[in-house]
Parts: sequence; C-alpha cells; structure tokens
Amino acid sequence: MSQITLDGLTKQFGDVEAVRGIDLTVESGEFLVFVGPSGCGKSTTLRTIAGLEDATEGRILIGDEDVTGLDPAERSVAMVFQNYALYPHMTAAENMTFGVRSSFESDAAMQERVQEAAETLDIPELLDRKPSELSGGERQRVAIGRALVREPAVFLLDEPLSNLDAKLRVQMRAELLELHRELETTTVYVTHDQTEAMTLGDRVAVLDDGRLQQVATPQELYDYPDNRFVAEFLGNPAMNVLSVDVVEGETTYAAEHAEFRVPLPDHHDADLSRVAGSVAQFGVRPEDISVRATESGRQTSDGTAADESATAPQTVGEATASQTVGEATASQTVGEATASVTVTEPLGESLLLHCDVGEDSLRVKTQPRTAVSPGDTVVLGFDRDRLHLFDPDDGTTAYHSSPKGEAAPTRTVAEMQD
Amino acid sequence: MTETTKPYDSTLGAALLLLPTLVVLVVFLYYPALLTFRLSLFQTLLLGTERAFVGLENYVGLLGSGAYHGSFLISVAFAATVVLGTLVVSLFVAYLLFQVEVGESTYLVAAIWPYALPTAVAGTVLLFLLHPTLGIITHYVEALTGVELDWFTSGPLAFLVVALSAVWKQLGYNIVFLVAALNNVPTTLTESAKLDGVGHLRLLRRVYLPLISPTLVFLVVVNTIYAFFGAFPLVDLMTSGGPSGATNLLIFKLYRDAFEFSSLGSAAAQSVVLFVVVALLMWVQLRVSDRYMHYGA
Repeated sequence: MSQITLDGLTKQFGDVEAVRGIDLTVESGEFLVFVGPSGCGKSTTLRTIAGLEDATEGRILIGDEDVTGLDPAERSVAMVFQNYALYPHMTAAENMTFGVRSSFESDAAMQERVQEAAETLDIPELLDRKPSELSGGERQRVAIGRALVREPAVFLLDEPLSNLDAKLRVQMRAELLELHRELETTTVYVTHDQTEAMTLGDRVAVLDDGRLQQVATPQELYDYPDNRFVAEFLGNPAMNVLSVDVVEGETTYAAEHAEFRVPLPDHHDADLSRVAGSVAQFGVRPEDISVRATESGRQTSDGTAADESATAPQTVGEATASQTVGEATASQTVGEATASVTVTEPLGESLLLHCDVGEDSLRVKTQPRTAVSPGDTVVLGFDRDRLHLFDPDDGTTAYHSSPKGEAAPTRTVAEMQD
Repeated sequence: MTETTKPYDSTLGAALLLLPTLVVLVVFLYYPALLTFRLSLFQTLLLGTERAFVGLENYVGLLGSGAYHGSFLISVAFAATVVLGTLVVSLFVAYLLFQVEVGESTYLVAAIWPYALPTAVAGTVLLFLLHPTLGIITHYVEALTGVELDWFTSGPLAFLVVALSAVWKQLGYNIVFLVAALNNVPTTLTESAKLDGVGHLRLLRRVYLPLISPTLVFLVVVNTIYAFFGAFPLVDLMTSGGPSGATNLLIFKLYRDAFEFSSLGSAAAQSVVLFVVVALLMWVQLRVSDRYMHYGA
C-alpha cells in the first residue's frame, strides 16, 4: 500500500493544456474518484500517474518514491481500461498471466495466484475461455483479475464500468467496493458518472478544465460545494442557481429576488459582508425547496421519506413527528415565492416540478403523487439550512447557510427508526 | 433475417451495369485462358500457323524435361525466398514505423515509394546500381567486404540479386498493409503490455502477430502470386534467365519457349501447369492459415 502524491502536475499536448497544476495526495488505502465532464483532464491525470503520458511539469510520488520519469512498468501500478484491453487470442487465464510471468518464481506460484484472483472475482470456471466467449461483465472481471494478479501498490481504473449496461454497472459497483474493502489497495478511479463517483469514493476529486475544483467526501461535496461548478455538477437534477441581491436587513442579511426574499441565517462560519450590497448567485437544490398550494386547506409540503401518509395526494400535516433534519420541512422553511408550475416529471420515487418564478425557472423535487399539474400556482419555500451563495464573477462559494458539518448531522440507525 | 436492400429494381438493369466488366473479363481473361488450354494440346509450327493435335504429349514432355525440372525448382526456391524475405523485412520496417512518433509520414513515404516504380524501370535502375563492374552499390560492397560480386557469371549470386530486387520492389506494398494492420490493434493492448513491462519482441510475437494474422495470410498469398508471375521484368532485364539457367523462372522460361523458340504448344502447357501449381499453393495456404488464424475479437 502506498500513497500517491501529485505535486503541481501539468500535462500539455502541444498547445493544449489538459492538466493545469494539480496538487493532491491520495492516502494509502484510499479509494479516490476523479470525476468531471469530458475533456476535464481526469483521464489524462490517471494516465500520467500510470506513466502512459509523461508529465510536462510537476512530480508524481508513489509511496516515497518519485516516479515522474519512470517507465510504466517500474511504477507498480495496475490499470483497468474502459474497453477491458484483453488480448482477444488468449484465454482469460493467459490474459491474467501474460504480463506477469517474469515476476513469479515458479509457474505453480503464478497459477495459484491466478486461481486465487479468479475465486475472489467469482470467475474460476471462466479461466479457459477467450474474451469473445465472455460477456461484458465477465470480461471486465477478467481485466480486474489481471490487475489483482500483479499485486500492485496502486490500482488505476479508467471508466471501467462505462461499457456495461445499467443493471450490471450497479452490481459491479457494489462488487468493486467490496473488493476494495477486502484488499485495501490505494485506488484511483476515473468516471464521468456522478453516481459512480459518489457511491464509490472515500473522497471525490472534481475536475474541470484541467483544474482541481474540490476534493472531499461525497456528502461534503454535495452539502458544501466550494464553487458553483461543483454545486451544479453534482446532484441530479442539478442545483438551481439564480441571481439575487444580497441586502442587509435589520438583524440579518437577506437574499432578495424580484419574486421573493430569503433571510440568510448568520453563523460563526459565515461572512456575508463580502457579498453584501451586491449581486450574488443564490443556489438551492431541488429537494431543498418545499411546495405549498396557494388555496387554503389543500396544501402540500415536501415532507419526509418516512411519511407513509403520502401515498395519496392529500394534505400533509405541518411539522409531523417524522420530520428529519436536513430536509425542507415547514418549520425551517424560509422565504416564500409564488411560482407557476410549467412541467411535471413523475420520477417514481419523487416528482420533479419545473416552476417559473418571475423571469427565472426553478426545479423542485417533491413527494411523488403530489396533486400538482402544469398551470397550477404554488408557493415555494426554501430550507434555511441548505442555501448557498456564489460569487457572480469567479463562481467561488461566498456563503453556506449552515456551518460545515451541521447541515446534515450524521444520524445513527437507531435515530432513523424513531 | 436481416432484409437486404436491393439497389436495383430490375435484374436487367443490374446485368447491364455488370456487362462492361464481364465483357472485359471474358474477352481478355476467360477466353484466352480457354484458348491457352486448347493450345497446350497442340504442337505448333511457324508461330501457330501450322498446328497438329497431340493430346497430352506437351505435358508428358514437361515431365521428362530436365530443363523444366530445374526451372520449376528455381521458381519454388525463388518464391520461398521472396515471400519470406519480403514478410520479414517489411514486418521489421512496419513495426519500426508503427512505433516511431516523429516524422511518421516521411518515413512511411520513404518506405513505400519503391512500389510506385514500374517493375521494368526498377529492373533497369537496379541493373545499373548493382552492375558487377559499373554498379555503385557493388563497388562499395566489394570495397567494404572484399567479396567479389560477379553475379553475371555466378548462378547463386544472380539468383540472390534478382530475389533481393524482387523483395525490395514488393516491400512498399507489404509495409502499407502491415502498418495499417498494426494501427488497428487497440492502443489499450499496447498500453496494458507497457504497464506490465512486456518487451518489444515478446509483444510483437505474442500480441501483434496473432492479431494481424489475417493481414499476414493475405500478404503471403499476394506475395506468392507476385513471386511466380511478377518477377518477369526483373529476370528479363537483369539476367535473361542466366547464368546457365540459375534465374530461369517458370514465367520467364515459358515466355522464351513461346516467343523465342516458337514452341507455343509447350509454353501453353507450362502456363497451365503454373496456373494449377499457384492455385493449389494458395488453397493450401488458406486452409492451413484458417486453422491458426485469429479473426477479430
């Protein structure tokens, strides 16, 4: 096991700068995921760690050794490719042993290692088959098996699940996690898929335009994005971002939009003076907006997942006992915006509303089977703990409405059963 | 069942479009081939103005002819040398071209251009470059090694010179195909091998060769045909089959028998035999390779 250190890593292809100075340490035994849109430099970074590309500037350390100038073979890394990169004319077993023959003392030792890897991956019966006789998932298992046989210090995976169908991808994801827990080998994983990034990574590194945007645990990235890019990249549907004026009220600051005014809770981490009196980008996630009907009596609010009464479109009582922290419930809803619903998208486990608020449009995620149809007018409220402000010029975060670690305190299982 | 689209509604329309090709094939290929076979059953005099049916006598004559046996063996040896030599050298050059990262296209053009020369021109140029007394290449090779390269009088040397010329002429064609085939091998396979530290030769032998085997088989077949039929201008211009029959390939011998010695019947029989031999050879090559070849993933 070894940690990986990237020190000012830069990679240029001719005039194109693919990676622009990345500083990052992947801890020993960590599962780190690089995620970003295509062309953000995530694969190039991985390939530079592997040694398949030479770094233009900067250094790469694996363990304590500077490997920047070393050949790929001297770095003790194993890589799994998106297209599996299996030799089509060799059997699975031959594929697993082809590259490593010289590093084993005896043939028997090698065969034993192959058998072991095959059993870990549940493919011992496939060892004599050629890749053309294997399904996509089986091929990827063989490719992972080949990496296992090498017993490398570092695993590098380049979109290994992207060629698999959706169902298999979910299954392989879980198996990869299990495998990593078993082996505890330092792993760097590249994907463009945010779900994969969030579910797999101990930490996730978000890249854009060759630059590291933020590295943090998945939940922290989601709750406390460092900038607008990270905020909008993670989460589906994406975070709503609108222009507001930040004004100083009597006791606290507020975000003022043509259609609504949201007071911004003050706390020890907040420094709203930076954006006060100017325009800022106001960010709120679709699930952090609650919906209420305008007519009296018939109202809906974004309640809780545990609320069984939501099976029929009916009134959901305010502040029920099953309230959970971190979700927009009536008690902590701030602001009030009248909106007209333009589109409804039933997603099964939730209902997505597209609402017009003045000139802007908001996506709102509410409970399924809520009786809302296009053309309805509703009242939206915002979860006071889950508001964000971004600098309108450089997109950096100016404010989170709750101090780090408090927006979504970790719950124990016992608490969940309450 | 997938539905095949019919580009033409009427069979007649399709037939009409095929007609020019068919006419050319029939007039210039199938009909002459038939005539050749018919001619091989006759004995001719005065350029075929007088002919007498002799049955298989021409073939029987070939069976007993020492000169023909010699020419046959030389042709087979020549084909083996040229096919093997061309493949080995062009594979070597193609592998280097495949791996070079700077100035790729310049090297590729340099490697291919001999193929653009007409064989007759190449034969003339090579004759002067390799001439035993005037040739600049011969001069330097002799100066450096001290060996006398008098291939005008030495049979084996003449054979070697013609074979080398044939190989040189055919390299470009082979290299184009091999470079294309190598570039078709997925890069991740190369990268995967690089990560494992697999050496260049092992990579070539264990990964590239099996993966480009369809192209290799195709080239073996094409090179075989070339060695039996295509080297005629080289022999004609450089050695005229000599010295003492050392480069008297079947294709050259039958030409001389027909047009210098006016034995049209015997030459026609030789053509038929040559055709059958090459056809058999190709059939064997394809059958054998089918067993070892790897097609795609």
